[in-house]
Amino acid sequence: MNPKINVKDYEPIVGKSYIEELSMLARRLSGKTVLNINSTFAGGGVAEILSRLVPLLNQLGVDVRWQIISGDAQFFEVTKKLHNALHGKDEPISDDEFSLFLETTKKNLNQIDFSGDILFIHDPQPVALIAKKRDIGRKWIWRCHIDISHPDSRVWEFLKQFVINYDAGVLSSPNFAQELPMRQFFVPPSIDPLSDKNKELSAEAVGSVLAKYGLNQDKPLILQVSRFDWLKDPLGVIKTFELVRKNFACQLVLAGGTASDDPESGEVLEEVKERAGGNPDIHILDIPPGSDIDINALQRAATIIMQKSLREGFALTITEALWKAKPVVASAVGGIPLQVKNKLTGLLCHSVEGAAYALRQILANPDYGRWLGHNGREHVHQHFLITREIRDYLLMFLTLERKEDFIYL
Amino acid sequence: MVIIDWLRVNWLYIAVPVLVFLGVFFISLWLRRISYNALERWLKERKTEIGKIIISATRGPFLHWLLILGAYIALQVSVLGPQWKSLGGKILASIFIAYFGWILIRLSREFVQFYLNKTKVPQRVSMVTTSIAQVTIIVVGILILLELWGAPMTPILIAVIAAIVVAILAFRDIFPSLVSGFQLTQQKQIKTGDLIRLESGEEGRVEEITWRNTQIKTLEGNIIIIPNNKLMQTTIINYGKQPKVSKEPFQFSTRLHLKELTGLSASNLSQLASRLKEVPDAVVYYHTHSFVEEYQFLTPEPTNDFALWVQDALGYDILAERLASIDTFEFPTVGALRQMIIGVIQDFLAQTSNEREAPPGNEFHFIKSISIVLPTPYVAHDLQEFVGILRRISIGSLYFHIFEARLRLQRGTNDFSRWLEECLGEKELAEQITRLDPYNYTMENLREIIIQLCEKGYESENKR
Repeated sequence: MNPKINVKDYEPIVGKSYIEELSMLARRLSGKTVLNINSTFAGGGVAEILSRLVPLLNQLGVDVRWQIISGDAQFFEVTKKLHNALHGKDEPISDDEFSLFLETTKKNLNQIDFSGDILFIHDPQPVALIAKKRDIGRKWIWRCHIDISHPDSRVWEFLKQFVINYDAGVLSSPNFAQELPMRQFFVPPSIDPLSDKNKELSAEAVGSVLAKYGLNQDKPLILQVSRFDWLKDPLGVIKTFELVRKNFACQLVLAGGTASDDPESGEVLEEVKERAGGNPDIHILDIPPGSDIDINALQRAATIIMQKSLREGFALTITEALWKAKPVVASAVGGIPLQVKNKLTGLLCHSVEGAAYALRQILANPDYGRWLGHNGREHVHQHFLITREIRDYLLMFLTLERKEDFIYL
Repeated sequence: MVIIDWLRVNWLYIAVPVLVFLGVFFISLWLRRISYNALERWLKERKTEIGKIIISATRGPFLHWLLILGAYIALQVSVLGPQWKSLGGKILASIFIAYFGWILIRLSREFVQFYLNKTKVPQRVSMVTTSIAQVTIIVVGILILLELWGAPMTPILIAVIAAIVVAILAFRDIFPSLVSGFQLTQQKQIKTGDLIRLESGEEGRVEEITWRNTQIKTLEGNIIIIPNNKLMQTTIINYGKQPKVSKEPFQFSTRLHLKELTGLSASNLSQLASRLKEVPDAVVYYHTHSFVEEYQFLTPEPTNDFALWVQDALGYDILAERLASIDTFEFPTVGALRQMIIGVIQDFLAQTSNEREAPPGNEFHFIKSISIVLPTPYVAHDLQEFVGILRRISIGSLYFHIFEARLRLQRGTNDFSRWLEECLGEKELAEQITRLDPYNYTMENLREIIIQLCEKGYESENKR
């Protein structure tokens, strides 16, 4: 996180009263320590969100700390498999691998300093640290950042024995909820409006990025930002574009990257390039990690932003698009309908033809597109900015022991 | 005998100055009576306090000044030598200057006291100002006397100018504030008790105006001290004097909420109705208010999650319309609202043979709204303060006092109307706000409409 960013910098975006409310809540947590534990300080969405949340909470006066578990490469291979299995992927995991997971957890139980009043454990990798609760008590919360709506039952049963010992769970979407004995809170993810990926950019900065990738500044631009993965349906996006291009002069940009931990992504990229063929209006951009300003500029230059995923967790790329007041056309899967309320904050689709129809509606009616974009930005403004996530966590920390539906603080 | 003989010969030398003295004295007495009477009449018409001070301070001394004038003219018509006349004249002039200066000092003390009492400045400021006025008169008087007796003036004038320059340098920061303070109190643009809004957005009531600073108590209860010269340079909106004060102040609270997942879901209408019977009120409240809360930037579509799901996931358009048309504003409790929703679904089920199932992934998930209420620093004691605070409170605060107070806390009406009627006696305004159906406005529109109604309320109060 940019060390110069201060919680007060969010005042012009969310309003003074919002920041005042955060301070009021933070004051009530005075004297309490919150310890976050996850698997890495850098790389991945959890580390990114914690690197922003922890300093902001500290600035508000809350004693929030952050530690990571340690493990060898084999351990992280196992946790990667657990992660995929929770997403519903058929992943064979041996008993030895489960044992390795438990042994590494045991080592971490002896190494980690658990000095905190509230232990905030992120994702499956450190989930079994809950064993420490027997010795030290305190309040334990499990924050699950991934889609567990259709988990592999064997893996879920293995993890569930730990999860049920937590005082509360935090999930990103209502349809991730499971029948569990402890309380489950719904806290959707958020974006940081001051990050490189979302901050305001000048027209010159946007123009220079378009020139860098050889894009036509005068032609309507349809964009999908996502890593090259079959689940993001890049071929479906190309088909959609070809249907639309029959009637509208426009260009398509598929911008993403290939992940080193995903051997399939290179293969997907090659096939997408092949499918695009020599169409000069289709641009396949393999953008390296860390090119946040480039992604920001492409999103700001886009006329319409698509997310035609076949499966999706929450899709923060949609949140980013909506924040830039862009009309969005997206599949009605996963957490997308939480953000895209059909015909109000964007258009939802279920097929290539449906997506093409939605694109044509917006291209033919720019005012309609602007209205959807405006609503989308307001929706993100109220529900999906980092300040809202901070507020939800503060409220949860403060009311963990209260069972009433109406709480006076 | 020698003296009597001398008087017999030179009686005219004595009689002329004495007669002149008496003549000047009596004519002056007559002129004084005419002029003071005229002055008193003039002051009576204007009812000014200043004139009374001048008259009471100068009426006695004026007689003495006339005696000095008579003596001076008598001296000039006498047969004394020029050097004696000059010496006598200087002595008389010196007595007059000293006497006049003394009266001026008295007057200045009373004037300063009079003005400072009106502006309620602290005792210390009053003493300093009086001393400065007195020292100035003494210095000017001494300079005139020295001039009269022919003393060298240049070095004295230089010393006086140097002293003035040093004083100005020493008070250069205070002086503009003193001048501004004087302007503020004289022009009466701002008075103690006024509710003002500064260019910076700060809003509060003027607690005290001193010659250097103005103290403002903000709506959050903080005290801001602004140097008067800075206050004079900024744009101020003055909402005016404190109107009718409420019996009890209105404490603004704010409401934040957490969404708790119940883990319960429904994939068809029967399950929806069955779950609806068993879930807590907080779940029914969430699903009948989430649209208002989450899409408050849109021109509202006063609907509920049940209607949306029935249409989107099950495709029952007619039932969706019936559910959407349930007027939440009509129900005094969540329980009554729940019964109505269940009734509408059951009526529809009674006429339906084949129930539809929601596609996988489109089930209805029951969510519970946990409201967390905490007091804000904002407290209103009157209608003006109330409006000022309404402009700046969060949407959460507005939502709590309007929506949750009525339906969830079952207070019968919204908190604003209750306070306006019970504590301020503003029955008509309270009724106007009660009649507003909040489900038909965006939250920002609702805020603006309530502000407008209140502003009309205190405009008519001012007219009364």
